[in-house]
Parts: sequence; C-alpha cells; structure tokens
Amino acid sequence: MKALELKNLKYTEILSKNKLLGESLSQLPTYKISVLSNIITSQLNNILEFTIRNQNINAKAISGDYDNIVQNSQVYNSSDVVIIFWELANLIDGLQYKCLTMTSHEIESIIEKVKKEIDFVFHALSKTPLVIFNKFSTLIFNNAFLKSNQFDDICNHLNKHIEQNIPRNFFVIPIDKLLAKLSIEKSIDLRYYYSSKSLYSVDFFKSYAQFIAPIILATNGKSKKAIILDCDNTLWQGTLGEDGLDGIALSSNDKRGVYFEEVHYLIKTLAEDGAMVCLCSKNNESDLDEIWKKRTDFALKETDIVAKKVNWQSKDKNLLELAEDLNIGIDSLVFVDDSGFEISCIENSLPEVTTLQVPKLIHTYSSLVREKMALFFTLTKTSEDRKRLEMYHYEIQRKNEKKNFDSVDEYLASLEIKTSIYINQVEHLARASQLTQKTNQFNLTTKRYTEIEIRELLEGGGYRIYVLDVSDKFGDYGLTGLAIVKINHPESEIDTLLLSCRVLGRNVEAIFIDFIINDLKKLGINHVFANYCKTPKNAQVVNFYEKSGFDILSSSDSQTKYRLSLDLSKQ
Amino acid sequence: MIDEKIRQVMAAVFETDANSISEDASPDTIEIWDSLHHMNLVVALEEEFGVIFDDEQIGNLLNYKLIKLAVSELIES
Repeated sequence: MKALELKNLKYTEILSKNKLLGESLSQLPTYKISVLSNIITSQLNNILEFTIRNQNINAKAISGDYDNIVQNSQVYNSSDVVIIFWELANLIDGLQYKCLTMTSHEIESIIEKVKKEIDFVFHALSKTPLVIFNKFSTLIFNNAFLKSNQFDDICNHLNKHIEQNIPRNFFVIPIDKLLAKLSIEKSIDLRYYYSSKSLYSVDFFKSYAQFIAPIILATNGKSKKAIILDCDNTLWQGTLGEDGLDGIALSSNDKRGVYFEEVHYLIKTLAEDGAMVCLCSKNNESDLDEIWKKRTDFALKETDIVAKKVNWQSKDKNLLELAEDLNIGIDSLVFVDDSGFEISCIENSLPEVTTLQVPKLIHTYSSLVREKMALFFTLTKTSEDRKRLEMYHYEIQRKNEKKNFDSVDEYLASLEIKTSIYINQVEHLARASQLTQKTNQFNLTTKRYTEIEIRELLEGGGYRIYVLDVSDKFGDYGLTGLAIVKINHPESEIDTLLLSCRVLGRNVEAIFIDFIINDLKKLGINHVFANYCKTPKNAQVVNFYEKSGFDILSSSDSQTKYRLSLDLSKQ
Repeated sequence: MIDEKIRQVMAAVFETDANSISEDASPDTIEIWDSLHHMNLVVALEEEFGVIFDDEQIGNLLNYKLIKLAVSELIES
C-alpha cells in the first residue's frame, strides 16, 4: 500500500475521508482516544482518527475541557489511550514572557505547584492502558536566545521530575524532534495562539499523528513483523549477476557502498528487536550463497536472515509463501526493492503490504529506512524477542522435516515436545501482554491487553492467568501460549486463549486446553464457558472449542458461544 | 468557481454536504459553527486558496457572503 502521506492531503480532504472511514468502520468496537490539554488542540482529533482508522481501527478522539488536565485526568481515565498536551507557555497565561521578570522564589513556587499536578495526573491515569505525554519544551518561544533563562529552568525541572517518576503505562514524546523536522515556523500559528490559545498548526498535527501512530497501532496488534528485501541495488550497489562478487559495493570500503552499509546496520537493529529479516531476489541461489563466503565486509550476516526466496518466480507469490512459512499475516510485511516495477506489482496484488522503494537520491535511503523502522514499534521488549531469530530458523527446519513422516502422529512424537505451564506469575505479565498484542491467528477472542491491564486482572483476584512454555528437539520457544480465565465460582469463562505462531502445528493447543480444564476441575468449577470471536485472521480456530469437547450454546456470523460441563463425579 | 470551492470547504469543516450550504449560511443557520469550527474553517480556506488572512480579516469572516468577499479580494491582490 502506498504509505499514508498525510502531508500530501489537504485538511478538508482529511476531514471528508475521516468521516467516510468512520462510517465504514462503525460496526467495529470504538477505540477511545482522549486528548487532555491546557491549550486548544481540537484540530488534532480528526487527523489522529484518520491516521488510526486507515489501519482498520474504529478510533474516536475527543478533547477534554480546556485547561482542565488535572480534573479531566480523573474523568477520562477509562479511555483506551489518553494524550496529554501540557504546554509550558500556558501554565500561567503568558508565562513565556512573564517568567522573565519573576524572582527565583516565584519560579520555584510554579515548579512545585506543577510537580504536584503532574503527580496527581500520574496517579489518576495509572490504570489507563496507554498514556502519551509530551515532554515540556521551550523551543517555540526561546529559540532566538543564545542563553537559557527562567523559562528553560522551569522546563528542565519539570522534565526531570517526569523522567524520575514516569509510570509504566506512560510514553513520553520528544516533541522537539517534531518541531525540528517540520520547522518551528510551520509547526505553529501564533495568530490563533493569541486569539484562542490554539498553538499548533494543522501541519504539526499531521506530523504528530504519524509520529505517535506506531505506539497506538502496536497496542492493537498491528505492528510490522517482517522486512523483506531485494538484493541487487537494494542491499548493495550493482547487480551480482553482472558485476560479480567483487564488483558490487556493500561497505564503506567503497564510497558507493557506504549508503548501503548504514542500511545493513539499521536492519540488524530491527532483527535484534525481534523483527524477521528475509530476502526476496531474482538471482541464482548459488551466486547469493557465495556472498557470505567471499565478502567478509558485508555487515549483514547470513545468521541475520531468517528466510530467503531466491528464485525467478513473481515476487507477490514469494511474499505470500514467506507469510505462510513464518505464520504471519501478509499485512505484517514491509517490502523493500529498487525496482518501480516490482514495487507497483506488490502494491497492486498485495495492497496490505507496506512498500519502500530504494530512492534514486541514494543519500536519502537510510532516512527512509529509519522512517519505516517506526512501523515495527513494540511497547515492551522481552527476552522472547531475542530468541525470535533462532525460533524461525527452527520453524523452517521443522516444516522441512515434517515432509519426511508418513503420519502426523509419528511426526509429532518425533519432535519430543516439552511444555510447562505457569499460573499467575507476575514476571510473565510483560510477555503475556505482548502476546495479546501480537497474536492474530491462533487467538480465540483477540482481546488486546497492555501490561497494566493484565496486572489489574491478576491483582483483582477474579482471574487465573496461564502461560505456556514450549520446547521441542529443534529449540526452546519460550513463553508462547496464554489463557486468561475468569473465575466466578462455580462457573468460569475463558476470556483469552491464544498460541504464538511459533508453536503452531505441534498440537500443543490440546495439551494446553486439557491442562486448563483439569486445573479448573481441581478448583471445583462446574462449567467452563468460552467464546470464538471471528476476525479476518483467526479462521483456523473456528472449530477449536468444538473439537475440544465443548457444546455450542449459540452461534452467529461473528461469534459462537460454548460451554463445557465438568463432570466432577469422574475424578 | 470560488462559490463551489468555498461551499466544499465549508461542507467538509461543518460535516455536511455542499448542497446544504446556502447563500445566507452563518453561525446562526449552521448549528455546529462554533469558535473552534470557525478556526478550522479559516485554516481550511487559507489552504484551499493559498492565501493568508490577517487578524482583522479573520474577524470579518462572519458568514458565507463576507467569506466570499474576503477570499475574492485576497485572490485579486
């Protein structure tokens, strides 16, 4: 899909398109965004809704009351995400100039007062899934001064306070980066600041919406998972087939190669954070294999690559196969190629794939890659991310070995699968939250939880949280299954049941559900209720509960309700 | 031409269709036309016509007729 270039859309176009998108998504549950500010930021709402709605999330943004951040933090804390624009200049009307003649005592009083307000807001929003908080900044009003002044003092003190006390569900936005990118002049409209305290321009809000979108998308399970790269003129300057192993430029040894070397390092970072790096090239596989043997100056190592499709078939077919091999959705892919032909072919046949064409102005290549890296954003990093690469190598190995067995049972037995199941362990909550945000296919209800929300369930006492650890002879996959069961003695309901795509095809789901049912039996539970909520991605589990022995209570196009009676007499 | 463009801009800002913007459109006839929407309207008009209103002109954009007048003046100069 062509990247959503907000900056190319007029404000009125965004307004009209946003309205239409809202209508088309109206059947989906609303994702509630509240914007709290001490200035007017109403123009952000439509722009942010539009950015998020483009990813098929029914976002609805509302503004709190003007300059009522503290009071509003108690009212809007049940939103899905709260965004806070706390403008330094309006802490007191005209602070940007009034502070210049204030005594240090007066300055201190302001700082202390605002610190208390910040603490209040931190506390009031401590249970909100996600809070996006802009760092305080003096850039807009102080950029002409060579020296710092009281305005900067207040700013620095408050930012330090935030840094030292920021709750886990808050994400601080380095707003100066946005002001620098757009230019201060284009980011503000002082006509409206003086008349109605609306400081930022529509262009700034477009930048802001695109900047924070990855955070919101990540909590909705929509971050990218794999980057698929062409080779010739994408990973190096030149064509392997024509220029030969020594003729291509891929490192800073060659002044043509330095642009590509920077991109290699950026890709390695992505891999380290858990993204899957794959190659898709029209080349001879044997030629490509030689590269890692002969070009030791190639920063991207063979071990950084999870999968390769090096053949002469069309790239859209290759991308579909890769998504299948890696057990991920086609919309989790980012595709990079120098050829306009290949890029438009993918944009046409697989519009859900995000594309990046290597630019003619090659010095801009690494900046474009950095922008696309934002799409891979995840809120929490866990040790499972680092294991990912090995896991996917094992997965492809496993799938290859599967072909050697006559019966599925024989094959499964040969895997020597080991599972461990942990119940209500606090140290697993970060990974559990990550699993709810990333797992789309083997997911019965697709409920997304932030770490804070799962912690709440655990501390509340009415839930049992099961986490599944899987290993087989190919490797240790880590925590890859999650079940959240609501206990309402003597009834129970499976709120969430999911398995990471890494451990599919091993029948561990049967082990997991059996364990859970037995555990609930031991607790004296009579009935286990469960739901299947249909999404475009979880068709593979439509019959899971039925196959597991549950009875169907009711069934509609979008949801099926189940119940399992636990016969306590047979223990 | 200017008529049509102004109507389209107002329709997008006031979340209605261009046909329902009449010659006497004003904050009295369009319920949603409050001060916040007025600001959005000015921003959208400036973008559409590539003009910049000064503070005095912004204050005079009180209804459809006055908007049309202000925009035409700026475009001519």
